[in-house]
Amino acid sequence: LLPAELDFCAPATLNEALTELAGDDVIAMGGGTSVGLLLKNDLIEPRKIVWLAKIPELREVTAGPAGELVIGATVTLREMACSDVIGREYPALAYAAAQVGNPRVRAVATLGGALAHSDARQDVPPILYALKARVRIAGPASPAAPASRREVPVAGFHTGFMETALAEGELITHVVIPAVHGRRAAYARFTPGSDDDYPTVSAAASITRGEDQRVTSAVLALGGVGPVPLLVPEAARLAGTVPGPREIEAVAGAAEAAADPSGDQRGSARYKKAMAREWTARVLRACLDPGGASLRKRDWLITCEWYDLMPRLVIKHISSRSQP
Amino acid sequence: VKLSFILNGQSRETDIEPGLLLVDVIRELGLTGTKEACGVGVCGLCTVLVDGLPVSSCLYLAACAAGAEVWTVEGLAREEPALIRAFVENEGMQCGICTPGQVMAAAALARERPDASEAEIREQMAGNLCRCTGYQTIAASVRSYLATR
Repeated sequence: LLPAELDFCAPATLNEALTELAGDDVIAMGGGTSVGLLLKNDLIEPRKIVWLAKIPELREVTAGPAGELVIGATVTLREMACSDVIGREYPALAYAAAQVGNPRVRAVATLGGALAHSDARQDVPPILYALKARVRIAGPASPAAPASRREVPVAGFHTGFMETALAEGELITHVVIPAVHGRRAAYARFTPGSDDDYPTVSAAASITRGEDQRVTSAVLALGGVGPVPLLVPEAARLAGTVPGPREIEAVAGAAEAAADPSGDQRGSARYKKAMAREWTARVLRACLDPGGASLRKRDWLITCEWYDLMPRLVIKHISSRSQP
Repeated sequence: VKLSFILNGQSRETDIEPGLLLVDVIRELGLTGTKEACGVGVCGLCTVLVDGLPVSSCLYLAACAAGAEVWTVEGLAREEPALIRAFVENEGMQCGICTPGQVMAAAALARERPDASEAEIREQMAGNLCRCTGYQTIAASVRSYLATR
C-alpha cells in the first residue's frame, strides 16, 4: 500500500538524523500515526523516512535550570499521560495527552509528531499554547559548524494547516514548558461524537494570580476553530482583576468573535463558534476555581486512576519502547 | 531490507520492502488472524502487541518492529486460551469480525493491569469498535477473564 521505493532509517544520534534529513523528499517520523496516514492517503510522497524514536536525547523528560520542564520530541503521548512529574506539575497537559485517539495511537504517537503535523483539531497544541511552551529545533550542520539549534515560542510555530515554522532539514528536539509559580491551567475538549474523535472545539487556558487573588497573567487558546490553534489576546484583559462572571463572559464573547471555524460533520461554523464561547467560559472558571475542583471531574478522576496506577515513566532516560 | 524480530515468541527474519506495514508482513508470514479494516488506526481490528503495547499494525511500519517482540492473535490463542474462552463463554462476539483485535486489546490490559477496574476495562476497550455484539458482553468477557487470573 505504501510506495515500494521508500527508504527507511533509524539513526541513533541527533547528528546522524540531521545528516539523513538532508536533501529533498525526506520526512522525519516520531511514531508514524500521522506520517502513516499521510502516506496512505498519498498526501506525502517521501523517498525516505527518518525514524527518530531511537535517539536517546529525544526520549528524555528533564528539568531545566530554572525549573522548566523539557520533554523530548519522541516521548509518546502515553508516556506523557503516565508521567508522574507531568501529572503532578502540569495535569492539564497530561490530561490533554490522554485524550488523543485511543490507547494504540497514544502508545506510539509522539509529542513532536503532534506539533509537526499541525492540525488544529489535535488535543496537545492548545494546552502548550496556554502554557507558553517553546519549541527547540535542531537544523542541519554546516561544514564549519555542528548542528544549529534554535528555540521558538509554540505560538507562531504553526503557520497553516499542516504547515509549520520548520525549515528544510530541521526537526523538533524538545518542548520546553516554563515553570510559573501560582499558575493554574485547564484543557477541555468538546465532542458530541465518540470520545476518540477529534473535538468539535477545544479550549485551553492558564491563569496566574498573585496573593491578593488578582490575575497577573492569563492565556487562552482554542483548537478546532481555524487552520492553526487560536490565541485569544482578550484573555490578557483579565490581568489586574479578580474575575467574576462579567469578566469571564467578556473573554468568552471575544473567543466566539475570534473563532473562524469551517462547518463539517462535527458541527456547523455557527455551532462551533457558540461552543468556543461556552468552553472558553468553562476552562476559565476551572482555572479560577479556588477549591481546585477539576473541569470534568468524573472524566478526570477516571483518567487519573487509570494512569496513576500504570508503570512510571523513567524521568531522566526512557529506554526506547520497552517503558513504561 | 532484512527484518529480524520475535513473532509470537519465535525469532523471525524476513526480507521486506522498507515501506511495508506490519499488518502486511504478518499476513505474508501466514498469520492471517490480524486483519486490516479501517486502515486509519480507529477500529482496532489490526491490534497487535509490540513490546507489550497495543498498536494499530495498519499504521505501524514493519521496519519499526526491528528487534521488537510482536504478539498476534495466533500467539495469544496458543499461550492464553483462557482469554479466548472467556470471549466465547460470555458471548463477547456475534459476527466475530472485530474479535482478533478485541482479544489483543484485552491481552494488553491483562498484561499491564491484571486487577483493572471496570472503568479501566472500558477505557482500554473503547478503542476497539464492534458493530453488532454491543459492548456489554465484551466488557463482561474481559472482566470474567481477569477474575480467573
